[in-house]
Amino acid sequence: MSRRTYLLKRVLQAMFSLFIIATILFFLFRLGLPDPTAALITEGLNAEQREAVRVQFGIDKPLWHQYALFLWNAVQGDFGVSFAYRAPVAEIVWERLGNTMVLMLTAIVVAYAIGVPLGAWLSWRRGSRIDTVGIFFGLMFRSAPMFWTGMIAILVFGVWLTLMPTSGMRTLPYEADGFFDKIFTLDFLWHLILPATVVALYYLGSPLLIMRNTMLEVYGEDFIEMARAKGLPERRILYNHAARNALLPVVTQLAVTIGLAAGGQVVVEVVFSWPGLGREILNAVRTSDFPLAQASFLVMAAFVITLNLLVDVLYTTLDPRVSFK
Amino acid sequence: MTMKSSLSLMAMGAALALTGPAWGQERIPPVEILTTTESYDPIRYEGAFIIAEAWRELGLEVTVSPTEFSTLLDRFYTQQNFDTVIMGWSGRVDRLDPQFFLGTLDSRQTEPGANNPGGYVNPDYDALFDAQSREFDIEARQAIVHEMQDLYMGDVPVVVLFQRDEVVAYNHNTFGNMNAMAGEGLYSEWVPMEAQPLTDRKVLRIGGPQEPDNVNPLASTSVWGWKWMRLYYDRLVRLSPEVEPLPWAAASVEATDEVTIDVTLREGMTFHDGVPVTAEDVAFTFGYYMDAEYSYFNAYLAPLDNVEVTGDLTVRFNLKEPSAPFATISLSQIPILPKHIWEGIEDPSELTPEQIPTVGSGPFTFGQFSRGEIMTLETNRDHFHADEIAIDGVEFMIYADSEGVFTGMQTGQIDMTAWRMESGQIPLAEANENLTVISVPDFGYYHMTFNLRHPAFEDREARRALTWAMDRERMVNVLLDGRGEVGTTVIAPVNAFWHNPFIERFEFDMDAARAGLEDAGYSWDAEGRLQR
Repeated sequence: MSRRTYLLKRVLQAMFSLFIIATILFFLFRLGLPDPTAALITEGLNAEQREAVRVQFGIDKPLWHQYALFLWNAVQGDFGVSFAYRAPVAEIVWERLGNTMVLMLTAIVVAYAIGVPLGAWLSWRRGSRIDTVGIFFGLMFRSAPMFWTGMIAILVFGVWLTLMPTSGMRTLPYEADGFFDKIFTLDFLWHLILPATVVALYYLGSPLLIMRNTMLEVYGEDFIEMARAKGLPERRILYNHAARNALLPVVTQLAVTIGLAAGGQVVVEVVFSWPGLGREILNAVRTSDFPLAQASFLVMAAFVITLNLLVDVLYTTLDPRVSFK
Repeated sequence: MTMKSSLSLMAMGAALALTGPAWGQERIPPVEILTTTESYDPIRYEGAFIIAEAWRELGLEVTVSPTEFSTLLDRFYTQQNFDTVIMGWSGRVDRLDPQFFLGTLDSRQTEPGANNPGGYVNPDYDALFDAQSREFDIEARQAIVHEMQDLYMGDVPVVVLFQRDEVVAYNHNTFGNMNAMAGEGLYSEWVPMEAQPLTDRKVLRIGGPQEPDNVNPLASTSVWGWKWMRLYYDRLVRLSPEVEPLPWAAASVEATDEVTIDVTLREGMTFHDGVPVTAEDVAFTFGYYMDAEYSYFNAYLAPLDNVEVTGDLTVRFNLKEPSAPFATISLSQIPILPKHIWEGIEDPSELTPEQIPTVGSGPFTFGQFSRGEIMTLETNRDHFHADEIAIDGVEFMIYADSEGVFTGMQTGQIDMTAWRMESGQIPLAEANENLTVISVPDFGYYHMTFNLRHPAFEDREARRALTWAMDRERMVNVLLDGRGEVGTTVIAPVNAFWHNPFIERFEFDMDAARAGLEDAGYSWDAEGRLQR
């Protein structure tokens, strides 16, 4: 099979998966979540007034009708208007996604930039005290719930030492001309450090342990023996020969992590009042804001699917043994 | 069958009947108490178990079902698919008028989706409800409202469990003259107008875990939207901190007769864009709301027939029927919109956030609303009330949860909380030397509503007995840490004028509960289960 047909096939598969996911999401929310006007009862609206709101939302129509409308609009890139915000869902999702990704990608890059070489190094020093300490901390931060590490970080650095801001992306109020104007500031970096560190510490464990363990497997391979026989320096064997071969599982893990990052780490976004997509999804599900919830989850799904596709393609470059079959 | 055997059967039956009233009685079917999840509200969650425990002692089979909140609302109001529910009504300032809470027991509100899901039907009560809403003489209306509370209390279709104090805090180093208001706490419309800055920073910073759904005055359906918008839109009447109607944008409000209200506007008012506020704007606004497919204010506007412009600054409200709350409550809720901006907007519900006009005539002008982050206002120096306002503006910091708000209080990021603190935060706030903690009694209430269609609750005597078995004292002392009041009627004691203090109290008494059941013909089977 040629590379092009393979790609075409995979892209079609991905689109089909998205369609299935969109369908499931559509029915899942409508059948699983309560009526979006239920919350209006506590505001004192009676049945007739709520019905008027339902008509406004378009949820008075039969389900299949809503579904057809949803698909038709989605194909044209229109994901509807949020029930609560009365704003086009796409705008909200893009803005939130930006806020989330800048936090998550920072954390992931830091975690992998430290985790991968550290894992390789630990494997080299396997069995030593430093190896034990490294594994212990990697596992500890992986197992500690992030809302807990986040709250401890806020308590220590925000409340006790008053060194760091504890909430939001910027010192409020601020004026920014668009997304990049907002994030290319020292003030933003200042706000980013604490939440990004908390997420990075959590993510650090995966690349660290995967790298360390795969490296240990690779050490047993013949080509390492061969390199040693050739008298190559240990450092070169480690980083040029072993590490490259151990990277594959780490790359897979990285892609999955980035894919799932779109949804953000809800607890971190809540603890740090970070205006990201995760916090928005939580609100959308809580208030039965169908269009917003659908679009958010669809974006997450699209991320995971795209990155999986990307990894499969990347594999062929990283590992010549993998071919398009 | 022989004569003899049938005789012996009869004798057996007689003997059985003599052993107690139990013969031929049926067990009361099991009941399910719906309540919130522990994470949504630990107090209502624990409260359900306190009630369940006592009811089991009475021989009732009880399960407690903690339910996700919007599902809970759906099952209670929309589907009416419940046995009994623990719910709450928030104390919004417009609910100080007895109309709304009394309406939750009106039989015309029993259809699915309406406010009386328990299904209480009492024609006498309905008649009184209509009478009070028409009664313009306030003393006479008070008498009717008191009678209604007395009337329904005997039937206990709903048990008010407790009124929970609103516990809020402010930083006394940065701002003074912070007066909390019943039902509103510190985030009332008056605090920004009364607060006195104690430092060079003259911008009052408020922090809260909730934000408006949107700031479109023809689309927002959340109280958080209106709590914000009322600061930059004026109303004809504002409710004073003592919750008395105070002519505001109106110079005077006079009821010419029962169905005619004449309003004269203040002179010299302008919108934030400099255009004068006239009678045309007022008439336009009310007409616009009546025509729009926007239902948030429908209940307030229901008695209104039309609004006439009778002069540059005078309007006349013609009502369809006499309505006592209209001049006080309705006029204090509807904002005055600038006609010259809104008349060109065909479908206001379709406005995107950037298109929403934010021009009002209120004491503050709109600054910005950045979703999930911040909202700001500046003081309107041209407003008739501006001389009384000491601050330069308001900033509302939006946090993701109350934990974030509290950290904001601790770190001095904000000056006051917009919403109640969690019980765990209260002692920490009290120990903090910068903070002053205030407990404000609430007139919203937490209640248990019986589904009167369920066999366990259809009988008045059974409901009375089950109410005696509710240890509400314990709920207040243990669950609320004493910060609240044992429930009485749907009109809270803090709402002193309308509250009837002379009603049946149903203090916790298991013996009275048992005796009540026995007197009503209930008994217990061999397994101790309640039967009738």
